[in-house]
Amino acid sequence: MRRTKAFTLAAILAAAAVAGPLADGYVFDTTVPSAGGCPQPDRWGLSAVGPLSRQWSTSLPLAPPTILSVAAPQTAAQVSEIQKAISDSFTAWSGVAGTTFNAAAYPGMLAPIAQVSAANSCTNDSQSNVDGLNTICFNQTSEGFTSGVLAFTRVITANSPGVSVGSSATATFAGQILDSDTLFRNDGQATFATPAALATPQGAGAYDLESLLTHEIGHWFGLDHSAVWRAMMFPYAPPPGQFLGSRPSAQVPDGPLADDDRTGIRALYPDPNDSVNVGEIQGRIVPANPFSIATLPAASTGSYVTGIVGAHVVVVDSDTGSVIAATLGGWTCNSSNPPPTFDGTYDIQRLPIGHNYMIYAEPLDGLVAPGDFSVALNDICPSEAATPCTTPNLATTFNPRIKPDSATGANGSRQRFSFTPK
Amino acid sequence: MQAIRKLAAIPILVLIYLTNGAATTIEKLSIEKMAGLAHAIVRARCISVSARWDRGEIWTFTSFQVSETWKGQAPDDLVVRLLGGSVGSLTSTVAGIPRFRPNEEVILFLQQTSDGDFTVLSWEQGAFRIGRDRRTGTEMVTEDTATFETYDPRTHQFSATGMRDTSLDALRARVRAAISQISENEP
Repeated sequence: MRRTKAFTLAAILAAAAVAGPLADGYVFDTTVPSAGGCPQPDRWGLSAVGPLSRQWSTSLPLAPPTILSVAAPQTAAQVSEIQKAISDSFTAWSGVAGTTFNAAAYPGMLAPIAQVSAANSCTNDSQSNVDGLNTICFNQTSEGFTSGVLAFTRVITANSPGVSVGSSATATFAGQILDSDTLFRNDGQATFATPAALATPQGAGAYDLESLLTHEIGHWFGLDHSAVWRAMMFPYAPPPGQFLGSRPSAQVPDGPLADDDRTGIRALYPDPNDSVNVGEIQGRIVPANPFSIATLPAASTGSYVTGIVGAHVVVVDSDTGSVIAATLGGWTCNSSNPPPTFDGTYDIQRLPIGHNYMIYAEPLDGLVAPGDFSVALNDICPSEAATPCTTPNLATTFNPRIKPDSATGANGSRQRFSFTPK
Repeated sequence: MQAIRKLAAIPILVLIYLTNGAATTIEKLSIEKMAGLAHAIVRARCISVSARWDRGEIWTFTSFQVSETWKGQAPDDLVVRLLGGSVGSLTSTVAGIPRFRPNEEVILFLQQTSDGDFTVLSWEQGAFRIGRDRRTGTEMVTEDTATFETYDPRTHQFSATGMRDTSLDALRARVRAAISQISENEP
């Protein structure tokens, strides 16, 4: 009875111009505070007096060469060419309007890009490698690489306030990013071309350095992978010889990004003065047949499941057809009563107002096994969390229903409805 | 009363889309390609997970009990080393790294590092979760990279991509066929 009531009453769909609590949604990395509590989005705590430090190692692999440039190897011109790719990758993100990272609205949030010469500037053999200096390395080996891994970014976050590493700021909240390093494969198994070099015949077999950098910088800022094809944070870059979106320009500095990327970075770093991207759509995705989860444990803190977990929810501008944002439902967490519960909630924030939107949801029909979600839930319910958190047992078959019931159809696999934020 | 914080983000790990593209972090590899590159392929049950500092990084060490070996050799009590994890007051996050929970059953494509440690080949591409179809009892596998479906803005369709809800027997047969093919091609 209680469960049925929950299904009925929880049919929420709200839209509001909000500048409310920290935006959640999209696909963020999260950290569970060591003292217990709700998962917190990973993000920087930056200000103009404590800007994001940035540096890269000019040590480049030579035999075989990994970085393909128009300029001759080991020249100042090559360094300049690579530095421009790095700079433009950052500019793609700092060019997004409606964020506190926007370079025009909030100058000084990003420190100048420095150069260091040591190859191992990203790691060394002691714990002190987590130095609070955010570094890109092209000539750094790591035991973390395996076949097929081209590059990765390691983001260090604080599990509690008061923590610092090296020269980083002292964290004021759990989930605060303290250090980010990006390592590119340097064993000759992959070649990365600057934009200029990509356009040459030799660039046909190389990955676009700028696309990879822009993706990795997205991780620096706390974004995880997106499930929207062609979003910059979609894990798959274009094939060798190609690049994503458009190159950044003075007119469109965030040209390489997709709207899903822009909305995500806005939600992580919302500009309090933004009056455009302030729409929000919340809702729940629940089984069309609530009895399909009748065998699940009764509701109790941290152990009940009343909605679809892991459904991919996509917001599309119904006039243009553009994907504006996407996220994965669905859980909530009451900060006064953690850990998370799994009720199918989704919450997409920082949407441009004045538009009509369609909501698409992944059907999740067919077998839904616990293993389908255990990967994603590890960050939300880490085994080492101070507050016990029970992941949902989802070994059943779901046909989803998007609340409210006014959605077209009641049991279709791809429901959609139109909605205009206020 | 504190406001209820609505969190709707679940970190996606890697999602496969059937293009010829390569991941920013992970290059697309077929099952056959991975079968060739793997030093060992096993079915195993996760026993325990722990993270600690080692060589300047936070690593997660996951212990498995191996029940089947499809290729190569791996100890019955297998330990897999992967980047990232949470130790004390710090968490290290690397997108695309698979994480495991005790009692999960998985198929793992493994590589050995230069130090002899085992790691998961191509990270999430080399990890397959085993489930069971409640109606038929058939053991099924889903590749970590295919956990969530990809949305294509052009078609407004979600694509069931990667190996998802495939029978374990089918994966086993495909791997064995690939290994057999590789053996035949070896001089």
